[in-house]
Amino acid sequence: MSAKGRVIFSLALLCLSLLVAVPAPAQEEVTSSIRRYREREASTGYYEEYEVKPRRVRPFVGVPGVGRKPFPYSPGAAEIRTRTYLADSHRGLEFYAMRRCEDCHVAEAKHSHTVRGNVTCRQCHGGEPIASINHYFSPLNPIRRHAYVCAKCHEGANASFATFMVHEPPAAAAATRKTFPSLYYTNWFMYLLIVGVMGFFILHSLVWISKEFYHQVMEKKRKPEDERKDQNSAL
Amino acid sequence: MREKTRILRFSVFDRLFHLFIMVTFLIQAVTGMGRLLYATTWGKWVVGLFGSYETATAIHNTVGILMMIAFAVHIVYVLFKVEWRTPGKRLFHPDSLVPRFQDVVHLGQKIRWFLGLGPPPQFDRWTYWEKFDYWAVFWGLPLLGVTGLVLMYPVGASRYMPGWSLNVMLLLHRAEALLAMLYIFIIHFSIGHLRRGMFPMNECMFAGSVELEKELKEKPAWIARLQEDGRLEEVMVPGPPTWYRVMYFVFGYAVLTVGIYLLIVIINYRNYIEWH
Ligand code: HEC
Ligand code: HEC
Ligand code: HEC
Repeated sequence: MSAKGRVIFSLALLCLSLLVAVPAPAQEEVTSSIRRYREREASTGYYEEYEVKPRRVRPFVGVPGVGRKPFPYSPGAAEIRTRTYLADSHRGLEFYAMRRCEDCHVAEAKHSHTVRGNVTCRQCHGGEPIASINHYFSPLNPIRRHAYVCAKCHEGANASFATFMVHEPPAAAAATRKTFPSLYYTNWFMYLLIVGVMGFFILHSLVWISKEFYHQVMEKKRKPEDERKDQNSAL
Repeated sequence: MREKTRILRFSVFDRLFHLFIMVTFLIQAVTGMGRLLYATTWGKWVVGLFGSYETATAIHNTVGILMMIAFAVHIVYVLFKVEWRTPGKRLFHPDSLVPRFQDVVHLGQKIRWFLGLGPPPQFDRWTYWEKFDYWAVFWGLPLLGVTGLVLMYPVGASRYMPGWSLNVMLLLHRAEALLAMLYIFIIHFSIGHLRRGMFPMNECMFAGSVELEKELKEKPAWIARLQEDGRLEEVMVPGPPTWYRVMYFVFGYAVLTVGIYLLIVIINYRNYIEWH
């Protein structure tokens, strides 16, 4: 082959290989719902219908990480977590093995599942290695959290249910305004309501009761004929 | 003889509703506070009184449903009470609990009287704070009922609303319950027990009747209206028998004790109340 021919041939090969390298859409699909979760399904007997997405999209029911939603909700929008895509979230952390979860995750240990429901961290987060929340194969990844974790105890849990924030952010914290606005504003609304109602009525009853008491004391001191003069403060 | 004259203020139904809500409210307050403070020794002790965390929850849920049923019954009862031939007139009548502009005027007059700038307002049958008592329960009950029902069936509820709204419901439920407890245990109790003329206890919600003598001072416009309509004789009733008075005094003070105890717990454990 001439030099020219070789160039043309290799260019043609290159073009061809480029074409070949373009992945077919079918290859991108990592799951065939039957294959991938077969063991899970065999052991539990359900969930195949919620494989990747909830089947029907309901208005106002958004699933974070899966679809668009009318009400904003984005756990983690305020802080960038660097470990949230790891297969082992604690990779390279010193002294990890020696300590308990709540030693390091103080805030995460305070929620009703653990405090009141007697649920352990591992019942949701699984054994070692503990996958980061957003790692693609993590059981707590929003695309399968409902089926892999919540449904273990809450029969029939759906994707919407799994958007419940197990580790609720502190409602009054400034960061919550971005991560969970409805919670933040509800909290302020109720706070102002409580302070307003209680503040007004505590003042109201205090003044009222003490003023009545004062009149009672004064009346006792006064002679009966004076009483008629002061009808204004009779009550 | 005149001091002993009593006039009817609350029908038997009204008093039964009040008794019912007293009992159920206290049960909900105790079981709810126990669960809320379950991380503390006090919470564990209170929940232990009911057997276990699960039984306390079951009691809380069952009584909650009972309250919602009673609320529905109350609505039906109220709807029957309204005279539908002339609803506009009856709803804004002084005998009705619907707020009127007059209540705002009374509040203004009351504040003026507080400051020593004028005479006290001439109240009719229902004063503005009594109406507030009623309407506070009226909107508090459905709010607690709906949020409670949603939290009782979280999976089912999340089919109709996003799961994260359960977080909001939980917050609403707790905040509203706290407001209700604070209001009842501080304001409602002190107005019902500590006022001059009421001390040691305002009996009318149990006896159903009030002394005419007292009402002439408390609600002059009501008595005047009754006299004008010539109905004063009609509403005169005999006073409660002594055994009944003893009973409701004991009961009332038992409720008062539990309420004030819970109030102390709330204040004591305020830092342990988990909002999430
Ligand atoms: C030595 C302290 C330490 C201990 C003990 C520890 N963690 Fe962590 N964990 C960390 C740190 C640091 C991170 C990374 C920072 C972050 O994402 O909050 C992390 C991250 C995580 C993440 C991923 C967070 C994400 O953003 O996706 C999960 C889940 C997690 N830990 C669960 C647990 C559980 C469950 C236990 C108990 C079995 C535990 N951790 C014990 C320190 C610890
Ligand atoms: C009921 C299941 C459940 C239990 C029990 C649970 N978690 Fe989580 N955890 C989750 C879910 C779901 C997320 C994803 C974010 C969210 O919902 O807050 C998460 C997220 C996390 C994160 C990531 C940071 C964050 O707050 O979002 C950490 C760290 C964590 N959990 C630690 C713990 C520790 C420590 C415990 C035990 C005290 C624990 N979890 C118990 C379900 C659970
Ligand atoms: C190991 C069992 C278990 C798992 C897994 C679990 N839960 Fe729960 N869940 C419980 C128990 C027990 C309660 C009752 C707690 C109580 O009464 O306070 C509960 C209660 C709830 C409630 C009612 C509100 C409340 O706080 O009481 C919601 C909502 C909820 N869980 C959501 C979830 C979500 C979302 C997941 C998945 C991330 C999940 N749960 C996983 C056991 C579990």
